[in-house]
Amino acid sequence: MADFLKGSLSHHSAFIYAFGLLMPLLKYYFTVTPVSENTPFLILADFIQIRLQILSQVLKIEAKPNKPKMGKTESGCTKGAEAVLGVLPNSSIPIAYHPLFGPHSDLLLLELDEKLLPDVINQRISLRGQPEEDAVLCTQSKTYAIKFVGTSNSVFLVPPSDQFAVDENQQDCNEKGSDSNAPHASVLKVAPGTMELVEVAPRIDKLKMLLSENPYKFDEDSEMYDTGLYRWDDLIDRVQASDEEMRSALRVLSAVEINGYWRIVDEKYMDGILNMLLNNTLLNDWSLNALDEDEVVGSLVKDGYSNAIAHHCLDVYGSKTNGSEEGGKSFWELDKRRVCVHFARRILACGKMKIENFMEEWTRKVPGGMVVSFDMLEGEVLVEKLGIQSFVYAFSVSSLPSDPANRFSRLFQERSKWDWKDLQPYIRDLSVPGLTSDGLLLKYTRRTQPTADSEPVFTAR
Amino acid sequence: MEIKLKCSCGQQNCPEWAIIELQGVVEVQPAFQDRLQNLQIGLLCRPSSQESYTFTVGYHELSGSKIPLKKPLLVLKKIMKSDMEIDQNDDDDDLNSSSRVDLEVIGIIRQRILFKTRPKALISKPQPTVKEKVSAPRSIVEKLT
Repeated sequence: MADFLKGSLSHHSAFIYAFGLLMPLLKYYFTVTPVSENTPFLILADFIQIRLQILSQVLKIEAKPNKPKMGKTESGCTKGAEAVLGVLPNSSIPIAYHPLFGPHSDLLLLELDEKLLPDVINQRISLRGQPEEDAVLCTQSKTYAIKFVGTSNSVFLVPPSDQFAVDENQQDCNEKGSDSNAPHASVLKVAPGTMELVEVAPRIDKLKMLLSENPYKFDEDSEMYDTGLYRWDDLIDRVQASDEEMRSALRVLSAVEINGYWRIVDEKYMDGILNMLLNNTLLNDWSLNALDEDEVVGSLVKDGYSNAIAHHCLDVYGSKTNGSEEGGKSFWELDKRRVCVHFARRILACGKMKIENFMEEWTRKVPGGMVVSFDMLEGEVLVEKLGIQSFVYAFSVSSLPSDPANRFSRLFQERSKWDWKDLQPYIRDLSVPGLTSDGLLLKYTRRTQPTADSEPVFTAR
Repeated sequence: MEIKLKCSCGQQNCPEWAIIELQGVVEVQPAFQDRLQNLQIGLLCRPSSQESYTFTVGYHELSGSKIPLKKPLLVLKKIMKSDMEIDQNDDDDDLNSSSRVDLEVIGIIRQRILFKTRPKALISKPQPTVKEKVSAPRSIVEKLT
């Protein structure tokens, strides 16, 4: 008896001793009533442990109200979950352990928003992650973290009668006049908790890292790399993002699918092909606002670029013009900002420059007809004042981590104080579900405003 | 790796499971530990037409009510793919070789019967209390038939 008590009370002993008043009560139960065959249960409710005895009277009564047939199932008796959910007023049903009762660790409970149910039914949901990562659940367009929420309550799971059915039971049920013809339900498992979903931002940094392993370069064809290449399925396998988020991230990274593999193209290579395109435009006297796709791609292919790369170049630096389909021809317009930013990046790749020198060189480098403006470089460069001189250097938002904590720590590493005007381009792409950009600022920065009408300054928290 | 969430229930036909939830733990005496199967836990009773319930375990009674869940719960079952199945898929799709598990939706839970009161002892005279409740339906049924 004493051993038995120790065993079952071990977790609760602290509580029990704390509520010493209860001890006499417990003592009463445990010493007065002997353990015997017809006293199978103890309930540990909160800190009170009470023995429950199944009395013969109770058992007898259980059998009594079973005559009315409430079942809607074919066999004429209601069992399982249907019985529990459909208990008629003024009646009762016995609850027992299922013949297959056990831990059933392969059964999981997942709490899901009602609006995601159609996605479940149409099988558009999957769980993604590497074995060492925390799994996420992805719909077509969103990513959710999965949290396991445990409960100390006893959650008895009751399956419907046609699931986990045992043959023997089925027979019993059909036997007329038998007691088991009555509604009853069985508990298959005690659920230790449920899984809940929290919407999160996709883990895009990993995509960036994977694609940077082996960018597409000039000497691609002579040296065959086969490491660091990823197909769509490989990316889905490794990166925790929904399909839509993945596609948009690939677009932001200017990635292109070449021979079935998703690649980012080496910047120098892109520089080469863009210059070639601009040269061809000059030579052929094409308009930068209406480039014939077939002509442009044809000329680039003649110059030794692959078809896919030539298309990719148009995609990265231009956009299809509206109503461009004329007699099956597609027309493209080069995007001034993107072309100008490209040249600014190339210039600053060598390092910090005086702002006057930079502007001069930049204006000279961009193709004729394009006018540069410093505003184009929001989120691309920072200006540093040293004495009376201003220097400009490359600091691209696309090179920064995409999760807010790391983003802000990198930003404050770069500069300890940020004006709103400077900071905004570096945080506007951050999206954290359930947190506004003001919320982000509140969480990661300290805002100071020396006087009421001066600009606020942000420092690290 | 990717684990697909499979669902074969079709439109709105997911089998509905039920939850009976109570605070604390029903503990089985060691003598019964190895033969839980089919062992009766207690009696779930609906004393009136309202969605309130009692759950009688031995001579203790819990009272509670049926509560719709704010968000539904899916019952998922892990399905291990057999090695043979993986080998077959291996040729055309190397993705399948890494994912050995599928999750299948086998049910949905929309409501639970929650007992959050402390057990009330029916020690002194359990018989009349229980009898009163369970005898009621009999008389109704008898009248009806």
